[in-house]
Amino acid sequence: MAVLRWGEVRRQAADPGLALTFFGAVGILVLFVLYPAFRVLLYPSLRDYLAIPQSLRWMQAARNSLVMMLISTCSATFVGLLFAFATTRPDIPGRRFFRNIAMLPLFAPPFMVAFAYILMFGRLGLITHTLLGMTANIFGWHGLWMVQTVAFFPLAMLIISGVLEAANPSLEHAARNLGADEWSVLRTITLALARPGIAGAALVVAISVLADFGNAVVIAGGFPLLATEAWFRMEGMGDLKGAALVVAMLLIPTVALFLLERYWVSRRVYTTVTGRGSRIERPPTPPLLKGAVVTLCSLVSVLILLVYFGVVAGAFTSVWGRDWSLTLSHWHLARDRIWSLWSSVKIGAIAGAMTGVVGVVVAFLTSRSLPLRNFLDFLAVLPGALPGVFVGVGFVLAFNATPLGGTLWILATALAFWHLPMGYQAAAARLKQIERSIEEAAVNLGASGLRVLWDVYLPLLFRALVEAFAVSFIRAVTNVSIVVFLISPGQVVATFVILNMIQNNIWGAAGALTTMLLLLTFASIGLTWLVLGRVVRTSAVAG
Amino acid sequence: MMRRMWIGWLVLALLVGVVPPVIAQQQKIVVYSALPDLETSLIHREFTRRTGIPVEALSVAAAGTLQARIRAEKDRPRADIFVGGSRDFHIPLAKEGLLVKYRSPVAAEAKISPAYLDPDGYWHGWYLGALSIIINSERWDRELAPRGVRKPATWDDLIRPEFKGHFVMPSPVTTGGGYIFVAVQIFRLGEDRAWAYLKALNANASQYTPTAPGTITLLERGEAIVAMMWAHEAIGARILRAAPLEVIVPPDTGFEIGAVSIIKGGPNPAGARAYVDFLMTRTPQDINARYGFRYPVRADVGVPAGATPFEQLKFVKYDLEWAIQNQTRIRERWTREIGR
Repeated sequence: MAVLRWGEVRRQAADPGLALTFFGAVGILVLFVLYPAFRVLLYPSLRDYLAIPQSLRWMQAARNSLVMMLISTCSATFVGLLFAFATTRPDIPGRRFFRNIAMLPLFAPPFMVAFAYILMFGRLGLITHTLLGMTANIFGWHGLWMVQTVAFFPLAMLIISGVLEAANPSLEHAARNLGADEWSVLRTITLALARPGIAGAALVVAISVLADFGNAVVIAGGFPLLATEAWFRMEGMGDLKGAALVVAMLLIPTVALFLLERYWVSRRVYTTVTGRGSRIERPPTPPLLKGAVVTLCSLVSVLILLVYFGVVAGAFTSVWGRDWSLTLSHWHLARDRIWSLWSSVKIGAIAGAMTGVVGVVVAFLTSRSLPLRNFLDFLAVLPGALPGVFVGVGFVLAFNATPLGGTLWILATALAFWHLPMGYQAAAARLKQIERSIEEAAVNLGASGLRVLWDVYLPLLFRALVEAFAVSFIRAVTNVSIVVFLISPGQVVATFVILNMIQNNIWGAAGALTTMLLLLTFASIGLTWLVLGRVVRTSAVAG
Repeated sequence: MMRRMWIGWLVLALLVGVVPPVIAQQQKIVVYSALPDLETSLIHREFTRRTGIPVEALSVAAAGTLQARIRAEKDRPRADIFVGGSRDFHIPLAKEGLLVKYRSPVAAEAKISPAYLDPDGYWHGWYLGALSIIINSERWDRELAPRGVRKPATWDDLIRPEFKGHFVMPSPVTTGGGYIFVAVQIFRLGEDRAWAYLKALNANASQYTPTAPGTITLLERGEAIVAMMWAHEAIGARILRAAPLEVIVPPDTGFEIGAVSIIKGGPNPAGARAYVDFLMTRTPQDINARYGFRYPVRADVGVPAGATPFEQLKFVKYDLEWAIQNQTRIRERWTREIGR
């Protein structure tokens, strides 16, 4: 990284193009990140805030959200650990299969797991009703628990497996040579080294669970949660103030978890890692454990495959649960709504381009020794702490009355800036890999600060740009939490149409349209792969 | 070099692809529809065919959302028309000065009963609906009928202990239908006894759905056996999707007058008036009766299939003024005392 030198600061400050870009970037981030957040927090009066504890429903929603966070985080982190363990042990059969399967939920629209589980395990579910003849009620906290576990464990897996891979196998060998049995090696070395990774994974999962809107809105039933309550406030009561209050309540724990993750755990992760230089084989896994891990991972893999199978099968089944004959009629209805997919693509493309460009420019600026660059960095990562529903309400309050309101730009902008941390962090990571001397050579040859960005960094950052674009695009076309607040006539997007279909019991067409959306997602992953020569970093897609 | 050119072209293509649709089409009208997508798109297709005015619609089957939108956009209204949803959602907007007065000549021509039109001219009623008890007959026959349980015929029957855990309805806090139901109980029993009734009903309720269609969805899938819901939603599910639903309209029920109103300051006021005129004609009311199973307000449009004629239903004496004025208080009391 750049070493701060006073001379350089003065030189760069004197570069008018760079200074202008810098203030432009700060201005844009303040406008689209800070301002909506402040609008939400300041919209209710102090008296409204003080009245929160008197509202039974809100206290209930807050309590439920916290309980769900605790149980879903525990289960998702546990399953994530299991998968991470399985995928980092060379002697576990099918480990590549498990890893690939586990990635699937990351690319599904956020309501898809819940939708598929109603099809599979609901009152008319294929498994519960038709195959087992049971009457099951999947609605409520237990259904949500199962769905959130399946939806969010891949996040935990990615983080934990990163740490497990980095752990040096020679430590395990050393412990074995010193006489420890297999189980105590596992306990005192493998798991002990993974502990910070587990903590970090748990925090990331907890943020996602708290902010989970898509699954909750489909499967939580009458179980009030903060993430859905905000939407119901607007939906049924037209109560913007109530919506603002609820999302403000949601903000406190997510920001706390985010700060904890960013400034405490992730820092610890890097200090505990012992490097991965070693090529020694890991000691064999105890057979009993191996059996247990493979069984559990297989079980979870089946649950994931059922999600995809359920949605696609639903698209071809006449009346789910009653008439299992095959039909294409749902596809006709879905084809009538295909314009919504086009709106999604349009908005996703704009959002992706904005995330990419702003992300790269801000990453470039924060790599300079400019004053206030920490503030800029803070602004660029802050959206990662904001729940989607919070951003949605924020943009409604901040920009609905401006010319932006009612156009596709308000939705695209909200999505773009909500995804900014991914674009920014991808670009910043690549910038760190670029040798500083290239730039110094350009400067010595007389290039200005902007010229350096354009001629030296932009070509090198192309990959980061494409990646940011792809991630932001994929997440934008599958988003619901922001979409439900900012949707307007003329740009009704596919996820909104699907959500309406699910809620109105039009399962077949919902399945067909979801299938199309999935094809779009996988096509864009494939395209990025063609351009970059590798798959988009899946960790960035999730959330 | 090539790659930078690429990015340039990409940005250019985006601008070219996205900006013109925003500018083009001056003449269209923008409609917020609280009716389901199907009826809305059929009616709009017909409207455009007749008048040549294109329609851009947002249909969300929850009038509250749209009411909220219209309030939020009051400084820069973006829609011309608010259609669907009970008049209960249009009246507060009229009181806040967000709607425009208009008296459709077509309504006068068709001799539509003044009971369905706002005396002040802010809204026009164009369809009717009645609250009812709905039963999933498949589950009823399998689980409750063998135990000799009698079918519910009145609101009071709903609190019988046999229905414990089997009852669903839309939430009075977030939906119009749920709220009208609570108001009906108050007009029927008086406020104190109504709350005792609602608490007893709460003991049977398995959930209160946050949106109105949510209730019919649950019942259709068999997630519940008994529900309180608009009759037309159940009839529609039965006829269009072969759902095993039975509709019982109890005495002392409540109703909605589905309304249409013109939003003040909308971009195309002339188009908006044409839209209201159109809804007063036969065709849209017929489509709504045929696909939405809602009662028309015009006498010359047939009663929807499977529905009892509106005049034969027995309604509670509904004090609209009181129901609208006490809306906030009652929803708060519900939240406090029922808490779901």
